[in-house]
Amino acid sequence: MMHVTDVLLSVLGAPPAYLDPGSGSILIQLLIAALLGIGIAARSYWSTIKGWFGIKSKAEDEDESDDK
Amino acid sequence: MSLTINNHQQLSASFRDPSGFLFTRGGLLLRQVNQAYAEDYALLMESGLYEKLVKANLLISHVESDQPPALKDAAFKVIQPERVPLISYPYEWSFSQLKDAALATLSIQKRALKLGMSLKDASAYNIQFVRGKAKLIDTLSFEIYKEGEPWVAYKQFCQHFLAPLALMSKSDIRLNQLLRVYIDGVPLDLASRLLPWQTKINFGLLTHIHIHAGAQKRYSDKEIAPRKSGLGVSKQAMAGLIESLENTVKKLIWKPKGTEWGDYYEDNNYSDSAFEHKKQLVRAWSEEKKPVMIWDLGGNTGVFSRQAAASGAFTVSFDIDPAAVEQNYYKVKSTKEQNILPLLLDLTNPSPALGWDHSERDSFGARGPADMTLALAVIHHLAISNNVPLSQNAEFFAGVSKWLVIEFVPKSDSQVKRLLASREDIFPDYTKDGFERAFSEKFKIHKIEAVRESERHLYLMERK
Repeated sequence: MMHVTDVLLSVLGAPPAYLDPGSGSILIQLLIAALLGIGIAARSYWSTIKGWFGIKSKAEDEDESDDK
Repeated sequence: MSLTINNHQQLSASFRDPSGFLFTRGGLLLRQVNQAYAEDYALLMESGLYEKLVKANLLISHVESDQPPALKDAAFKVIQPERVPLISYPYEWSFSQLKDAALATLSIQKRALKLGMSLKDASAYNIQFVRGKAKLIDTLSFEIYKEGEPWVAYKQFCQHFLAPLALMSKSDIRLNQLLRVYIDGVPLDLASRLLPWQTKINFGLLTHIHIHAGAQKRYSDKEIAPRKSGLGVSKQAMAGLIESLENTVKKLIWKPKGTEWGDYYEDNNYSDSAFEHKKQLVRAWSEEKKPVMIWDLGGNTGVFSRQAAASGAFTVSFDIDPAAVEQNYYKVKSTKEQNILPLLLDLTNPSPALGWDHSERDSFGARGPADMTLALAVIHHLAISNNVPLSQNAEFFAGVSKWLVIEFVPKSDSQVKRLLASREDIFPDYTKDGFERAFSEKFKIHKIEAVRESERHLYLMERK
């Protein structure tokens, strides 16, 4: 059986860079990122839906709260 | 370490990235930005990212300089970065220092993505502690983000940060020393083998280390064909990836306990009065000599480093014990101290010169000399536990700094009795007189003070 990452491997290009990102590292990153991206999308839809009912979600820029 | 070309010296830690390099000229530290990096540099400065990161204490500041470039043909600009008082390396950091460096890297990547840029490397060596904060020191680490591209530095982040942190937290704190062996971070297959099996039920460690290591092995020899389809990492997916790394890092914890010196001050024969007297002397002598840089060798949790740092000197507090360094760093963070840097160091086997041509990472000694060194309650460990003759101790300290504040701990002291309890006393010269004789060869002794309510003496010496 063909491994799912083999399919990705056949269609993707490597970015030009001075670091070698590593074939395996790119492929695994694609899989993880796809999975986690779904989570982020779901969360963003959920906060939109909550918004319709006037429920505010936590500040979007949470990572900037430590700005000084 | 550096390479001399014409009238400048190119620093050999900075040769990999074609975007530019660091060089020194006439005492100035400069960074040449190459033509190849012109567009990325422009976006960094014009998008507001530079300003935002500097304001958030995440990136070192710089000014554009009128100095001529070092290599004219490739040059676009010359910038002068803010100077870091002392460069330190990840194998000298405590657990929380490495963790904060990892989180700073991810925080930078998140902010960069929002403004259309991405980090093109995620090296732990690009992070330094400046005024108590983990900051990126490589201004040329950013590239224009192209939606769909995977994060080119993902593998490097996992090797430099995630793997050593996971090993320190889940296996053994001492495994941070693997970073001293593997200059490009801990190989993931090695991390995967060393981590306990329970880490496979942790989603972040399962994916970013164990499965990642497997994929690297399986696809290491596969050539990646040119991009043929729209498949890639969307911006949203990239955000998910960074967030996952962030959550995984945040959940890794290590609590210092049960190591060598963690509870040293509660378990010795100091009286409060002796302790206070020693503090006063260290403070008075550092205020009198006004050193710019102090190295406290064997600084424990930094009690005496803080007395010395009160003089305004930048004080590096070295200790062999990861628990002491960790506690010292907690203190730096909680009280927002800006001129104390706790670092891990085994004085009997200090950090060597590492990397290509032994010149990518400087040795401990090459980063000196300091203006003043504190060696408090250290000499008995070096002379007795480590069998280093007093004359060689004197030679070592003379190489480290001009001024030396050193404590002599005699054989009658309970700490030394403890060291001699299980071994033969082969140290006939280890006496106050023998110590003074040996150190007088290299130093002029300016002051000798008997530490109150103890048999110890504190010396202020100047290198001859």
